[in-house]
Amino acid sequence: MNKDIIVGFIHFFVIAAFQVFILDGVHLLGYINPLIYLWFILMLPTNTPKWAVLLLSFSMGFVVDIFAGYIGFHCAVLTFIGFIRPLFINIFFSGKEIESNLRPSIAEMGLSTFLPYLAFLVFIHHFLYFSFEIFSFSEFFKTLLRIFLSSITTILLILLFDFLFFRKRK
Amino acid sequence: MRNLLRFLKRYYYIFLFILLEGISFYIISQNSYYQGSAITIFANEIAGKISTKTQNISHYFTLGSSNESLAKENARLRSKIENSYVKYQHKAFQYNDTIYKQQFEYIDAKVIQKTINKRNNYFILNKGSIHGVKNNMGVIGPDGIVGVIINVSQNFSLVMSVLHQDSRPNIKNARTKISGTLVWEGGNYSKGKLIDIPSSIPLKIGDTIITSGFSQDFPEGISVGKITNFQKDKGTGFYVVDIKFSVDYNKLEFVYIVKNFFKEEQQQLTKDIKNE
Repeated sequence: MNKDIIVGFIHFFVIAAFQVFILDGVHLLGYINPLIYLWFILMLPTNTPKWAVLLLSFSMGFVVDIFAGYIGFHCAVLTFIGFIRPLFINIFFSGKEIESNLRPSIAEMGLSTFLPYLAFLVFIHHFLYFSFEIFSFSEFFKTLLRIFLSSITTILLILLFDFLFFRKRK
Repeated sequence: MRNLLRFLKRYYYIFLFILLEGISFYIISQNSYYQGSAITIFANEIAGKISTKTQNISHYFTLGSSNESLAKENARLRSKIENSYVKYQHKAFQYNDTIYKQQFEYIDAKVIQKTINKRNNYFILNKGSIHGVKNNMGVIGPDGIVGVIINVSQNFSLVMSVLHQDSRPNIKNARTKISGTLVWEGGNYSKGKLIDIPSSIPLKIGDTIITSGFSQDFPEGISVGKITNFQKDKGTGFYVVDIKFSVDYNKLEFVYIVKNFFKEEQQQLTKDIKNE
């Protein structure tokens, strides 16, 4: 358990730094703004206490917000993702997987279980974040395009990093 | 009582969720109603301190291009100073110090954190209130317009760049002197749009767009970009103009914060009109 907490902290800082210093500064075709930081919340072990997930979501959102210049949006949206995460875990994972405290990842769940969970939450997160950021219907189709392209990029990046860095825990 | 406790135990995370969302929305409302609220100043200071460290590394990758643009600016300025001119009519050019009064002063600063891929983009600069930076000061780069300061902490300041949906600087066509407004519609950071330009006066592709000097934030004649395309909007009688920004915001590193000595006087004047 202690080891999980330390590993968790390292993940927190590495992912936040990657988001803030690398992804936020990269310009991809103008409409793509991958928000990989929500991966941190998605990959918390399945029996992490709900209050911890909420507090971690809020802190991660706050850290990313500080560097984006406008505080609050990432916080609000990521806290919501932390809130609905247990629901999605119940929908997509079988009872056995939840009880055995798995980390949602390709290595421990298999792609066919992990991908729908990942895709749904990423899409909900991006939909809320980008609609919030614009806060008007005047650029509706541009926003939809932005949500769609960014979601796909985020999902692909998460799958890639997951595949590269995570092996099955002993 | 026991039922209440059991209820709390079961649903505590819903209350925690509502509390955290409440905090988030409170911060968002603080941001949008008060410029320079305590929490944004605090955040600005932290982000500035950490970004200074990472900027020191990434700075080397853009060194070449920022040197080039600074050298170009130097050359442009050098061609304007007195030594570069030969006096033709000695009687007409009488040097008199009291004729000129300085209106603008520039504070040099470095961009230490920026985003360009969002719908609303902000830059953090390494100069703050102890260097004399205040809210609503304009920011320009060696190649042209950059944005407006919206938040100042002790050592750092936050710029709302022209790549923002609320940024609407007043601009004019350098050739025809007709003014309009610059907006950015998201997407490509090198392309902007001009609105409110009446279609009665013809435009040309390649016309240079500069700041009009009507807003008190920017001096007149700061470069904005060049017209790449334009269309008449039949319904309104205005042009819809596409421009290419003269500044490459992706590589932007050194900027100047514009301090207008007459700003308060100008604001006082317009305030009196509004009050009547």
